Amino acid sequence: MAAAKTWRLWLVRLILGLWALQVLWLVWHFGPEAKDLAHRVARGDVGAAIRQEEPLYRWATALQAVIPESAAYVFLDDYTAGKEIEVRYYLAPRRHILLSPEVPASFLFYALHQEHASFLLIRESQKPLGPGAQAALHSHAFHRVNLPGPGLVFRVDPSLLRWGFYD
Amino acid sequence: MIEAGVTWLRLLLGLGAIFFLGYAWLTLLVPRPRDFTCLERAAFSFGVGALVLTFWMLTLTWEGVTFSLKMILGPPLVLTAALLLTPRGRRAVREEIQTLPVRPRIALHGWDWLLLGLIGMVFLYALPRAGLYPLWAWDAVATWGCKAKIFYTTRGLDLTCIEAHNYYPNLIPLLLSYLYFALGQVNDSLAQVIFPLWGALLLGLLYSLAGRLGLSRRSCLGLTAFLALNGTVFIVHLYIAYADLPLAFFTLGGAGLLYLWLADAAPRGSLTLGACCLAGMAWCKYEGPPLAATLLLAAALTLAWLRPGRWVRRLVHLSVPLAGLVAGYLPWRLFTVQQKLEIGADHIQNFYPQQMVKAIYYLLAGLLSPYYFGFLWPALALALIVSGRRLWRSPMLFLALFVGGNLLAIILAYAVAPTAAAEFPAYVRATLDRLLLHLTPVAALLLALGLKDLEG
Repeated sequence: MAAAKTWRLWLVRLILGLWALQVLWLVWHFGPEAKDLAHRVARGDVGAAIRQEEPLYRWATALQAVIPESAAYVFLDDYTAGKEIEVRYYLAPRRHILLSPEVPASFLFYALHQEHASFLLIRESQKPLGPGAQAALHSHAFHRVNLPGPGLVFRVDPSLLRWGFYD
Repeated sequence: MIEAGVTWLRLLLGLGAIFFLGYAWLTLLVPRPRDFTCLERAAFSFGVGALVLTFWMLTLTWEGVTFSLKMILGPPLVLTAALLLTPRGRRAVREEIQTLPVRPRIALHGWDWLLLGLIGMVFLYALPRAGLYPLWAWDAVATWGCKAKIFYTTRGLDLTCIEAHNYYPNLIPLLLSYLYFALGQVNDSLAQVIFPLWGALLLGLLYSLAGRLGLSRRSCLGLTAFLALNGTVFIVHLYIAYADLPLAFFTLGGAGLLYLWLADAAPRGSLTLGACCLAGMAWCKYEGPPLAATLLLAAALTLAWLRPGRWVRRLVHLSVPLAGLVAGYLPWRLFTVQQKLEIGADHIQNFYPQQMVKAIYYLLAGLLSPYYFGFLWPALALALIVSGRRLWRSPMLFLALFVGGNLLAIILAYAVAPTAAAEFPAYVRATLDRLLLHLTPVAALLLALGLKDLEG
């Protein structure tokens, strides 16, 4: 009985020893982030100021003045890049329709018309523009809005959109 | 400077209102709130307050009433005042006031200070990390935070602006939007402080429940620190604004109260309070209702296996937490039907045996990896081995069935997940830590029972 208890106590000591090492590892793991936090607090560079460092945020903030709250926009981007959700968040409650950058022109134009979207946003990427975006550049229904930032902005006149032969 | 002070004051008042509402409901739900410890009262007041407030916001939407701070807080506060004026409410307040001047003497010694210091260190990092950085994590930006911002800006539960996951329950988005109303603006960094608060309440609840299991104060503190500082998942969830930490909180509350009830060690009203926890689970996350149902199933199986005195009658008593689950699930479900919201059918496509084999490997790796939960799960495995026959012959079986059953459920869920083979590892990586987080506080409670053996 006593032997069993001793054995259990050694087991507890082993777990506690491993845990103590693990706590030290946690300090090392969260160290850089804690350091960044301390620096930011010291500089007073917190809250919204952190977002201002992001070009995407500055672009979206500028877009807030261009796109009315009641309007809808189509956003061409790859979902996995994780930037689309940020733009949707910054521009909420504007209605957001995500399409792939590779979307064919017919479907892009159909979606813009069907969803009554008055803006088209294309986030810049390393890849060349897809067929839908290429067609938008050459269509009279799209008017480029000159807004510096990591993407292209077009005001759309859905009444001028025709589809069915762009592919 | 004055503006910042006013903003913080508004935040504190907003949070205080949640505690106040919850406490008043506590006086209605349990015969004598003082039967619960101070930490338990604080934790359950916040949990119940958050439930009441967000369900009220859902009611306002149903009635077509636009959100405003006056409409969100006014009627519940009037009701709260009425509840506190009832004989039961008056007695509860009187008892609280009577015990205010009596300060319990807490004599902490070396190791206690160290353990408390370790827990304090976690919050010294997590609280400013939550409150000073803007919302940034994927689900927080894509779902919870985005909905909260839309609910605030459109002054209602407007789901036309967001297409993904509209059918998800809305406790967290509504609670965040309530805080925006309290702050008078969308301030997604300050509102995030509810997450470290929720984490602190969860740890307080664990500490208190461990004490009820018969552990010494030092062991309770050790167990709490062992959960808080084991792996990265718990700490990260203190500041990423995901719904998983609140779900883990409600799960711990529900499991803890049901365990005490099964062990005949529960304060009066525990079953009703447990029902509220199950309602919270259902209203918190999509995974909540099945998780809550497994709590009830584990409790029923434990009763049927152990067959304590009047066990059939006790089985019938489980209808109280079942009613809580239904009350937490039904309002939102009916709302989605009324609004014709498309319900996701993610996990009901097909059965993929090769995914199941991989899921077993990933699950074991997740449980054993120090990166996720440190040494908590291996310690639990050892504690269960050491427990021996007691596991089958005591209500400890309930917690073991719940945790073990849900680990199996995770494997099954991955086996039917409709993902491409190439995407499967990433899918598991993005979800497994969170699914385990829901269970880990309950696993810590089970570990407490193992520790009790050692102390004895």
